[in-house]
Amino acid sequence: MVLEPNEEYWDSARTPTVRVVFDNVIPKAAAVKDVGSADGEIDIVTELTPAEAAQVEDSDAASVVASDSKTVLLGVFNQTSGDSKWNDIRLRKAVNYAVDRQGVIDDAMMGYGNLMPATILEGHFGYNDSLEPYAHDPEQAGQLAKDADKTVTIVTDEAHEGVADAVAADLSDAGFDASVKVGEPTGKWDIWLVEHFDWSPEFPAAVVHREYFGDTGGYLKSPGDKRLQGLIDQAMRTVDKDEQEEITMAIEKHIYDHADALLLFAPQKLYAVRDGVDFTPYKSTVLELAETKMDE
Amino acid sequence: MNVLKAPSAKPLRASPGLLAAAMSVGLGVAFSGAALAKDYPTVTVVDPSPVNWLWITWNTMEEAVRVDYNGHTQPALAESWEWNDNQTLTLDMRDDAVFQNGSPFDPAVFKRSFDEVQKWESPHPPGAWLNFSKQASMETPDDDTVVFNTTTVDGATITKLRGMHVASQKFWNQGGFNTAEGSSEGNW
Repeated sequence: MVLEPNEEYWDSARTPTVRVVFDNVIPKAAAVKDVGSADGEIDIVTELTPAEAAQVEDSDAASVVASDSKTVLLGVFNQTSGDSKWNDIRLRKAVNYAVDRQGVIDDAMMGYGNLMPATILEGHFGYNDSLEPYAHDPEQAGQLAKDADKTVTIVTDEAHEGVADAVAADLSDAGFDASVKVGEPTGKWDIWLVEHFDWSPEFPAAVVHREYFGDTGGYLKSPGDKRLQGLIDQAMRTVDKDEQEEITMAIEKHIYDHADALLLFAPQKLYAVRDGVDFTPYKSTVLELAETKMDE
Repeated sequence: MNVLKAPSAKPLRASPGLLAAAMSVGLGVAFSGAALAKDYPTVTVVDPSPVNWLWITWNTMEEAVRVDYNGHTQPALAESWEWNDNQTLTLDMRDDAVFQNGSPFDPAVFKRSFDEVQKWESPHPPGAWLNFSKQASMETPDDDTVVFNTTTVDGATITKLRGMHVASQKFWNQGGFNTAEGSSEGNW
């Protein structure tokens, strides 16, 4: 598909100066190789894994652009059955204390990630500065989980398998019997690692909070938390932006205090960009290309 | 010329000639075999995102509001907006925007884009939560203004407007997003 500039666009700062060709016929691995070759034809490759980013960094013709995107990686607890062990807040907190988030970012993400206390990065709408990310405290994790069934099966997709392995290793160090399976959250599983992005115009209650914890959320794997749903509903029932932000901060605190998910981190979005191409990613993760330019 | 085959669950479907005339924003769509207007430098993108169909939509259509590099809300086709009460939003629309086919943007085509989408069962693949109330309505009292009656207190209104894509009268006259396979945003 070819996107042509509209020279009559009303915003001169965003009037495109390049034609954009989307080529999704070429496999991603070949595209990563091509963008790094001086005689290649690909200019931008999105959705790089950290390993692919390393490959690009080693190339002569392209660089990695890392974006502090409003993306969140959480572990959803399997609370689909009434007697789920994850209904116990002590166990949910235990696994949150068991994980060394910065270690996971460093080892499994090659440093491409940002810590956050719940689901919103510092500096963004609804960030609650009274919260700190859960500390890495295996001893407290062991105490909180001392009477619990410590078997933990983490399920995730291929893209997050490395993170899941690192999380499982931390859980095992804290006394859990943790394993990883790649696939969908079906059959026997305990924690589903799944990523989402906040594209909204400053309304994470409708996008991230609703998706993970709301009654219409695609990632909800529990009967739902009435108090949390009440807060989300409250945000939906006001058009006052200041009020929405206060409620969003309250939602963040509730999620944190109740350890409603395994709160991990914000993965950076990674792009391979050919030398001579001026591309700046949006923190919303939406791939907006109007401002992309080629050097003369 | 390369043609996109999206690896997502929702493949892109193209209707040459229809979309080329429909686009309102900085980038319009040309299709394989279409004559390209000018010899611009070309940036070739490989985007395996499962929602690349949505990125194409946001690159080629425009909405009342947008989100800037840092995630902040910005005016787009609406220069400003104000809540008169908690169910009535007045939008002051741009008067200098034109579609790629040269036809002007105005409140009437904004309302048409809303009315067309309101007819659909499931306008938004990401979820029904993005739907406006079926009773919601828009009025265009003058050449600059849209008055939006949401009929319920809907805190997600501005977010939903970010997902309400505006296309030209010609686009809608020629069928809009409707295909034999269904009606929803990006359904081309």
